[in-house]
Amino acid sequence: MSATTSPVRSSPTARPPRLGAAARRRGAGAGRWVLLAALGLFFLVPQLAMARFAFQNIPVATLTLSNLTESWSLRRLGEALTEPGLWEATQVSVTLAVLAIVLNLALLLPLAVLAEIRAPRLRPVLTGVTLLPWVIPPIALVVGVAATFRTIAPWFLSSTLSLVPFYALWAMPFTYRALDAGLRGMNARTLVEAAQGLGASMPTVLFRVIVPNMSASIVAAGGLTAATVLGEFAFASLLLKETLPTYLVVYQRQAPQAGMALALTLLLLTTLALGAVVQLLRRRGLGVTTTGI
Amino acid sequence: MATIEMTAVRKEFGTTVALADLHLRVESGELVCLLGPSGCGKTTALRLLAGFESPDAGRILVDGSDVTTVPPKDRQFGMVFQEYSLFPNLTARQNVEFGLKVRRKGAREIAATVDRLLEVTRLEKHAAKFPHQMSGGQKQRVALARAIATEPRLLLLDEPLSALDAQVREHLRDEIRRLQQEVGVTTVFVTHDQHEAMAVADRVAVMRDGVLEQIDPPRTLWSRPATAFVAGFVGTVNRLSATRRADGAWRVLGSAVEVADDGLPMDALAAGRATAVVRPEQIGVRALPQRDADGAEPARVRSVSFLGAFTRVVLTHPDEDLITADLLGEAAQDLRVGDPVAVTVRSAAGAVVLQ
Repeated sequence: MSATTSPVRSSPTARPPRLGAAARRRGAGAGRWVLLAALGLFFLVPQLAMARFAFQNIPVATLTLSNLTESWSLRRLGEALTEPGLWEATQVSVTLAVLAIVLNLALLLPLAVLAEIRAPRLRPVLTGVTLLPWVIPPIALVVGVAATFRTIAPWFLSSTLSLVPFYALWAMPFTYRALDAGLRGMNARTLVEAAQGLGASMPTVLFRVIVPNMSASIVAAGGLTAATVLGEFAFASLLLKETLPTYLVVYQRQAPQAGMALALTLLLLTTLALGAVVQLLRRRGLGVTTTGI
Repeated sequence: MATIEMTAVRKEFGTTVALADLHLRVESGELVCLLGPSGCGKTTALRLLAGFESPDAGRILVDGSDVTTVPPKDRQFGMVFQEYSLFPNLTARQNVEFGLKVRRKGAREIAATVDRLLEVTRLEKHAAKFPHQMSGGQKQRVALARAIATEPRLLLLDEPLSALDAQVREHLRDEIRRLQQEVGVTTVFVTHDQHEAMAVADRVAVMRDGVLEQIDPPRTLWSRPATAFVAGFVGTVNRLSATRRADGAWRVLGSAVEVADDGLPMDALAAGRATAVVRPEQIGVRALPQRDADGAEPARVRSVSFLGAFTRVVLTHPDEDLITADLLGEAAQDLRVGDPVAVTVRSAAGAVVLQ
């Protein structure tokens, strides 16, 4: 028996040869880079435009590519930082952010832990309930709450701290999801059982096992709450309180370029601070879980 | 060390009966393996012992005192879980210290105990590592050291080796047995791996559908399985037809066999016919000339697989389905696919189960 081979002839109906796996991988890789570059540009171009508007001492109408590197200066930022109103508004916003974080964690951390270890079936219900604040528009929330408190406790609305419950409520969807994702990521139920088996009571389990292992999620929850508070304008404006966002709006009307310099600096500092915290936690093996947020 | 007794324990989850009526006694210092397929109730039994679940009926006694309603933290047990369950924020040393600190032991005692356990589990070099910096085997050794650090009355192991690769699993299995014998702690080990159970246990309890089918030392379980399920679960089996002769002896493949099962169904006894559950190593195979003297069609070799310690031969038999035989040493050396063979049941290889 013999076997013969014949050369493959091309015919008009023959299909073109398929791309190899390596070529397909290269194509997919290039596609990813193009997408990343497009996203990068989408994010960076407005930032660059804002930076040029804020930090280049060139009239806006004459800004072109040819003078991209000319006349950069921090002068306007310096002017903005010397405004006393900025520090007062910052102090108010930071205080509100800290209090909103504390209130949110005090309410949601025990709830999330209990749901995870005692009643996992309640988790979808809690997820739905914590989304409710976003269903109601801020104006309706403020008008409703203000109308209620104006009659029973008018002092509540006159204080700047009256914003704390609103902010805690507004940040609730982020906070709960960050905590829930952290609990699911660390397999909380097994850790609780392991600790109980070693003789630990429930408070010991909570403070020596759960909370330390949720530090990444707690930081994420806190960071998200702080970001929400520091960027929230509607509640403060409707309740006539001066916070950092309301100050920035007013200041930008007075000094647009200095206001922009200040906003960009705040953005940069916040990003650096969050990045540093995440890196610190990663070094301890406590990666920030953002699944579900 | 403690004696454990579960009496008429029942546990249901919704409409599912996890444990029907469990009676289990574990003697002081003994290692008992709960073996069975997924959903047989072995993990539920372990969780009931730990106190993580409460039985719907029945009692759990430790050294004669009823602990059925005692919360987990007061039961004085150590537990090793399948998924390591080390505290991620603590180093290996801190994990082992945890239980001792919770029980407010003195600093010197804690240091001495932890040093000894890290040495015994060969973890001294890894004491300062966090769980995410350790391998699966190292993590499980830390979990084991942590579980026995508090000198528990009972050690509970919930499939502790199933997340590890084969080599580490075997090594750690031996280490668990060595440590358990050194410490002398009463241990309940849950597994679905029959080889693991046979290798480490003083007694193996085979469970099925929430009921204990048989509890015996591994050798007894292997040689005298109480039911066909037990025989099948602890190894590969052949199901062959058995007939009873006038003298009352049962024969399988023409060989007289010893019958293990006392509970043979009455209808099988009356008919003189039953199905025999025969292990591959109980089958004897002898090469024949191409056609035997009577001219009857013999069994033939269908496949031969060399598996190291033994050779597995699959045979086609004119009266039976496929027959699997495990042959030791040179017995299978000359067998080729298609060869005619004589097949028998080796009486020296133990009793067979009849259904």
